[in-house]
Order: sequence, then structure tokens, then C-alpha cells
Amino acid sequence: MNNLLLRYINLMVVTITILIIISFSLGYLFPGDTLTNISGIVPQSEEQRIALEAAFKLDRSIFVQFWYYLDNLVSGDWGVSFSSQVSLIDEISIAFPATLELITYALLISIFIGIPIGFIGGIWHHKPFDFGAVTFSVVSYSFPVFWLALIFITIFCLQLGYLPLSGRVNFLYDIPHNSGFILWDILVADSPNKKDAFADALRHLILPTASIALVTTAIFIRFTRRSIMDEMQKGYIDAAKSRGFTTKQIFFKHGLRNSLLPIIPLMALQISTLMTNAMVVETIFSWPGIGNWLIQAIYQRDYPAIRIGMLVVSIFVVTFTISIEFISRAFDPARDKFERGTV
Amino acid sequence: MAQFNLYEEEFHPSPLMHIWLEFKRSHFALIGFAILLLFCAIAILAPLLAPYDPNIQNTNAILLPPAWEANGSIAHIFGTDTLGRDVFSRTLYGCQVTFGSSVLLVLIASTIGVALGTLAGMKKGIKSSVLNHLLDSLMAIPTLLVAIIIVAILGTGLWNSMWAIILVLIPQFVHQTRSFVREEMKKDYILLDKLDGASSPRIFWSSILPGMFELLAVQSTLALSVAIIDISALGFLNLGAQSPVVELGASLSQSLEVAYSAPWLVALPGFFIFLMVLSINIVGEGLRTALRNRLIH
Repeated sequence: MNNLLLRYINLMVVTITILIIISFSLGYLFPGDTLTNISGIVPQSEEQRIALEAAFKLDRSIFVQFWYYLDNLVSGDWGVSFSSQVSLIDEISIAFPATLELITYALLISIFIGIPIGFIGGIWHHKPFDFGAVTFSVVSYSFPVFWLALIFITIFCLQLGYLPLSGRVNFLYDIPHNSGFILWDILVADSPNKKDAFADALRHLILPTASIALVTTAIFIRFTRRSIMDEMQKGYIDAAKSRGFTTKQIFFKHGLRNSLLPIIPLMALQISTLMTNAMVVETIFSWPGIGNWLIQAIYQRDYPAIRIGMLVVSIFVVTFTISIEFISRAFDPARDKFERGTV
Repeated sequence: MAQFNLYEEEFHPSPLMHIWLEFKRSHFALIGFAILLLFCAIAILAPLLAPYDPNIQNTNAILLPPAWEANGSIAHIFGTDTLGRDVFSRTLYGCQVTFGSSVLLVLIASTIGVALGTLAGMKKGIKSSVLNHLLDSLMAIPTLLVAIIIVAILGTGLWNSMWAIILVLIPQFVHQTRSFVREEMKKDYILLDKLDGASSPRIFWSSILPGMFELLAVQSTLALSVAIIDISALGFLNLGAQSPVVELGASLSQSLEVAYSAPWLVALPGFFIFLMVLSINIVGEGLRTALRNRLIH
């Protein structure tokens, strides 16, 4: 156990170090003036340039610069945005929770819809319901997420007018920024029209969440169905049957647990797909999340923002994946090797 | 099973034939395969099939609706866009770019991935373990993020977005190849090869690779569907193909401004991307089922 923990911590440290080195070297790889790319400030005079170079240790060796970069990262001094001159840590701490909120809801929806459908399909495989589930999963896995979002907008916003087109919550409601999760912020805020604000935020959430969740749900149905089918064909299930257990007992006592365990890490890997889809959907629905922010940054060639944004998102994704992998491995000693699944 | 039949001729299909026999039992898979072939034909023959040059602007016919609507004209089957360009020709050329570049990038990614995976699988020890774990965790980084960084360094363009997707696809191929090669290396027929004095490259070329093609085919269909969606998403975000190159995602995003008055301009490119990915997924699913059934028999 300790050995395992040590190995995963080692893996995490190595990966994050590589990510930090990549983001450090991006300052030199981006086109244009390295000083501007790192500091986000265009020096107006020769004196200012020299002063800035001294401040960012650009006149020192590369190792000193890297150490200084690490030091700044840890202490929260992430520099300023080139286009807005606002501190990057402030912008990210507003944008990132918004994305996290979207992803969390989409993931929950996919889990609560995808896994049960996959289970039923897996138990009664090659029956009409299973056929429907597989068709649904193949079709919805094929949707390009941006097109799906546009279809949703056309139907629900433009034609029917049921749901709002963009943003997180109507500007009428003044919600103080607290945790960054809009639903939670509304709940803890003490404003008189809390209920209306909550309903409004929910209405804003429906379309983006649905667009992201559809693809993930399709993948989860596939994973669960396959896993159940494979598990129920194994010898110990036959043995249990021959001892006279009912199908229900076998399924809930043995099949369920054994088929759920291997697919949890596979689901965690979907965070990458989820993140990409969330970034695309955010730009369509003007959701003020990190994806929208990063894409605006690339349009404006805001290199300091890209550098830090990339680091934050990738560290989050890598940490999440490795932690889930570690947890599932710690709870499932039978699995000696990580198997990557096919969709 | 020992069988001797003097009079009845026995039919032993080759492995490839066997897959095809299994594959064609599913009608859906066949339909998907037909659509996929159609897209292959479009990708190759687009310049011959397209009635107009995709970038020629006909100012006399701007925002013409498709032929099946009341105001449509048969001269422009899918209508025209905001600059009077023929949407049918643009869709054909768009399919060529989107589909063709995706196939190309999957080929590149699989070649590099198989080469790295074989190295990692045939060699043992700390080097292969480090490579493997690192790739695993780097594989989790979202495509769009890699694309944003590459675009920031090299600038926008179709090739740059392709590099980003190649970089993201490689680890999957490495992983699959590596575990396959590692499994096969333990088997007796490889041992026999070794006893016969075969060198490592020879073992790979003549013993391991022939058995790996099926795995590669399945993995490639998966990668291809991901590649098409990613390349059109990057085009949609203006990070991929730029103006003279016609790409489905990019032409979709260009017509967003008129989405309300000319919905077909948004619907058609999106539908073709959807159809492309759907046919690939159906073929991939059929292929996997066929392989599984073949192994059971």
C-alpha cells in the first residue's frame, strides 16, 4: 500500500515537474519579445526594460529564472494578463470554478443516466432495449459537440424561446462571488429573490450541461454494458448459478461490484474529453469559464495568460486522473495492471 | 477436430475473409461501410464532382436557399452562402479536407505510436516503464489545450492543428501496441523464432505485426472519429484551417452570423461531419463485433 502510494506520488511529481518545465519554456517558444511574453508588460523605455529584466531575473542564468518562476507559482504571483493587465490568479480563480461547475454537473448526469442504461443493456443484451441503448450511444457519440449545442440553441432558444441563450445568470440578480459555483453562491447569498435567481441559474445551466453530458453518457453506456457482459460470462457466475442462487442475488452480490470496479478509472479518463467539450461549449454559450477565457486569450495572443492557463488546466486534469487511478487500484487489489479501455 | 470428407469440399476462409463474412452479417455495419466508402470517394474525387470552384463568388446569387425549398434553384443544390459561393461544392471540398486530413493524421499517429510502442514493449526495464507512465498521464491533457499551445507557438493553420491532434493520439497507439507486443513476446511462437536465431526487427515484422493489424484497425477507427471531431472543432474555433482552405467546421462557424436567416448553412456542414463520424463509429462497432464473434467460433 505504502509502496503503491509512493509510486503514484512519484509519478504525479514527475508529471507536474514536466508540465512546469514545459510552461516555463513556453515563454521562450512563443513568438515576440520574451520579456513581454513572461511579464505581460510592454516596456515603454530602455530603463523600464532593464528594470523589468532585473525584476524577472532575465539577466541571470536559466536555472535562476526557473527557480524564480517556481517560487512565483507557489506564492501565487502568476503575473498579469497582457490584454487586460489584471492579475492572472484573480481571473483564473473566477473562470476555473465556472468550468468545474459545468463539468461536475455533466459528469453527474452522465453517471446517473449512463450507468443504469448500460447495466440494463448489459444484462439483457441483444434484446430490444439493449439495441436501443447501443443505437443511442453510437449516434450520440458521433455528434460534434459544437453542432449539437447550435441545434439546442436553435430549438430551445430561438424557436421555442424556453431557455436563455448565454451566460450563467441574468444580470438582474447580483450574486456576490464566493466559491465560484453559481448554484452554491446563490444558496449562501442572502438576497430576497434567492429562489428566482436559483431557477434562472438552473435554466442557464440546462443547455450547456446537456450538450457536454450527451457524449459522455454515450461513452459510459458503452463501458458499463461491455463490462457487465464480460463479467456475467465468467466462471464464478456459472458456479454461483449451479449452487442455486437467483439471478438477482448473483447480480447484486457479485456481478455489480466486479463489473463496476474496472470501469471507474476508464470513466476518470473521460475528464479529458469532457474538458475539451466544455471548452468548446463555453465559447458557444458565452459561459465565463476557463475554456472561453483561454480561447479569448489565443485570439488576442495573450501569451502570459495561455502559459498559466495551460498549466492550471493540465495540472488539474493530471492530478484528477492519477488520484482516481490510485484510489481504484488501492481498492481493487486484483488489478495488477492498468488496462486502457476502448470506447 | 479430425474430419475426413471425401466428397464435400471444405471451405476454409482466410482470416481477413472470415472477418468480412462476420462483418457483413450486420446490415447496419454494411450501410455504415457504404457511407464510409462514399466519403472516401468524395475525398478523392471532390475536384471532379464539384460543379463550381468552392471559392468563386457569384454576387448574383447570394444566400440562395437549397433546391428543395420554394425559392431554391437547381443550379445550386445546397444553395449559396453569404458571398454567393456554391454550398454543394464547398461541402464536397470540405469533406475532402476534413476527412482526408483526419485519415492522414491517423496514419502518421499510428506509425509513430506503433514504433514507440514496439520499442517499449520489446525492451524491458526502467526506461520503458518511465516512458509508459509518463505517456499515460500526459494522455489525459485535453486536445484543445495542446492545440491552443501549438497554435500560439506556430500560428493558425490546418497543419498546425493536425500536429496537435497527432500529439494527442500517439499515446493511445503506444499504449495499445506496447501491451500487445508485451503479451505476444511471452508466447511460444516468438520463443521458436528466437531459437531459430531471428533478430528483433525480424520478429516484429514477420511474427508480431501480422497479428496486430486487427487491433490497429479497431484502434484506427476510434482515432479517426476522434480526429474528425477534433479537427472540425478546431476549425470551428478558427484555430484550424484558414480561409482559402475549405473545412467543414470552419465554414460552419463562418455562417454563424446568418444562422437565423440561412439555417441550412449551419445545418449542412454539421450534418456531414455527423454522418462521417457516425459511419466510422458504426464500422468500428461492426468490426469489433466481427472480431469478437470470430474469436468465439
